[in-house]
Amino acid sequence: MTRTRDRTLSKWSVSCKGLLKPSCGRSEGEENWREKLVLQHVNALEILLHGLCGVPKEQVRVHELCLKSGPNLGVVPSEVRLLCDLAHPTPSWTVRHVGGAMRGSGADQISVLVRTVVESKVSNNVLRFFYGLGYKLDHEILKVGFAFTFHRGAQIIVTVTSAHKMPKLHAIEEALPITPNIHMVEITAPATAENYNEVVAAVSAFCEYLAPLLHLSKPGVSAGIVATATAAAASLMSNSASKPL
Amino acid sequence: MTVKWLMHWQPKPGTTLSTQILTEACQCVESIGGQKDGRWRSVLTFYKPMQRDALVPVDHPRDFLGLALQEQPAKYYFILRPNRIVLEADASIQVIMEKLQSYKARVTLNFEGFQYKLGDFQLRVGKCVPSASEALRGIMMEVEYIPLSSIDKSRQVLEEFFDIWQETISKKSLPGHFMHIESNFADYGLQDRYTSHHTAVQYATCMAQLIAAVRC
Repeated sequence: MTRTRDRTLSKWSVSCKGLLKPSCGRSEGEENWREKLVLQHVNALEILLHGLCGVPKEQVRVHELCLKSGPNLGVVPSEVRLLCDLAHPTPSWTVRHVGGAMRGSGADQISVLVRTVVESKVSNNVLRFFYGLGYKLDHEILKVGFAFTFHRGAQIIVTVTSAHKMPKLHAIEEALPITPNIHMVEITAPATAENYNEVVAAVSAFCEYLAPLLHLSKPGVSAGIVATATAAAASLMSNSASKPL
Repeated sequence: MTVKWLMHWQPKPGTTLSTQILTEACQCVESIGGQKDGRWRSVLTFYKPMQRDALVPVDHPRDFLGLALQEQPAKYYFILRPNRIVLEADASIQVIMEKLQSYKARVTLNFEGFQYKLGDFQLRVGKCVPSASEALRGIMMEVEYIPLSSIDKSRQVLEEFFDIWQETISKKSLPGHFMHIESNFADYGLQDRYTSHHTAVQYATCMAQLIAAVRC
């Protein structure tokens, strides 16, 4: 590329993920009860996050399209994600490229993932553009939920979403939950090569506050669910009912 | 954004470009009252697909351009001419394209020169040179009519300016003339209200013309 690049364009991302999934002893058939329990967990997490962050939540409704390079295109196969933010009256599009994770003994010792992430806002004809370049749609999902963006040692974004699949191409209105009783919790923080250690520490420290409800770990590494999460959620809901935030 | 016409110098058959033509054009602008108002530089890049197997025929666009405009330092524009697509993106899209390694820059052209204020017009006159050499590949001119954003409504005043400009430059008896090529903005899904997308399309149209002229 020809223009002089601002090095801050090459951003790193520190992230960890966890699953909000109530454990219960009842049968799989009691879906209504299970849905209520999931809702309780999600609401409890929202209350906890609101108390920790001190900012209002933002709605999340993102149509995510994963594109992969066609046969023989590129030195290596490549993947790019197009994100259409549907939470606002006018949809907006972002292209995101997620790079490889930091490796080595230092990376193994930390409980979060550090990798390069580059994003660019684009005009709404971006899907046609990448098709024109020879990229193909691999899969698409709709993520629905909420997010908190705040500063606590670093800028941190906590996203709580459920993933939905579309029965027909781009049929967002007909989207169905992929895993109805599981929500994904993702904590992300932008970083640079110079400050990622501080950001890692900030994210790791924040994860501890969520321990009553869920375990967080590197994306791709299962951390299991918290056995006492249901009780913790009920407690949070009870406390919030008696004490206005 | 206000309406802009892009013009390029069309040499007389059998003649070549020279910096003397650029110098004369700048003097003409000043002779009609243009006040020099700094420099300008835009950069256009031709991209080519990268293949894992060079023996397999490529079914990818051959006319894929990227454009960094002086007036939009935080943006980058991609034009896929065969598909009639112009994409506006943050400048970071260049980093993403580099990381994807699916296309790479083949030729980069710098458009650079002086800009002038002339009443309700802003003019830019400049040369087109490859980044890797000093060889003059073209002489360009941008004429912007500041009061209007509507392409239709500004057409008459820009045509009149163009006529005056042609008459002024013809007095220099230079071997060639400036040309303005109409771009079909509707093909690209663009509206009457002028934007940087329109400028990007004009540059792509102009490049196609310049390339065709070189091949003749």
